[in-house]
Amino acid sequence: MAGCTCGGDCETKLIYACSGAANTGLLADQVMRELNRDKVGASTCLAAMGADLSGFIQSAQNAAKNIVLDGCKVSCGAKIFQKHGIPYEHYIMTEFGVEKGKTPITGELIADVASKIAASVCGEAKA
Amino acid sequence: MKVQILGSGCPKCKLLEQHAREAVAELGIQAEIEKVMDTEAIMEMGVMMTPALAIDGEVKSVGKVLTKDQVISYLKGGN
Repeated sequence: MAGCTCGGDCETKLIYACSGAANTGLLADQVMRELNRDKVGASTCLAAMGADLSGFIQSAQNAAKNIVLDGCKVSCGAKIFQKHGIPYEHYIMTEFGVEKGKTPITGELIADVASKIAASVCGEAKA
Repeated sequence: MKVQILGSGCPKCKLLEQHAREAVAELGIQAEIEKVMDTEAIMEMGVMMTPALAIDGEVKSVGKVLTKDQVISYLKGGN
């Protein structure tokens, strides 16, 4: 769970990754997992949002912040949130100097992108 | 009709359950009220914050203690 239970006053940040087929989707997925490990927010399932599953949609509607990580500018994740009319904060992996279908996804790259997003989410200067 | 209260069993979960029971009684409908306390089962329903309320398998509310009147609205089919 998101660490905010029993109607607590804590802020729940949920993180979604497109996890698409290209290297950029892989990066989005791995960055989400790192942000989850670092407790920047709680990772949850974007596919379930796309499938209109009520629990996921209600959780997103009630979250303090929804952080959507898309691999590329097609922005499937953002479009899912737009469809539901739910606010979100958007990050696109190709805007971090990653070329779709080309850039190797390394541990260093994952850590770098995750730290920039964490800084932005936590209120520091946007990457 | 099946009404599910999802949560760990904390005071707020119990309050939501109480409001759900009052709502069912006030409407005079037949409804099974089930408490779902297993974290895995709660997560499988996509609920990231508790307490939550589901009616006939559809999650209606997450992370809130609904009032009796709010539960009544959902039981009547409101969104």
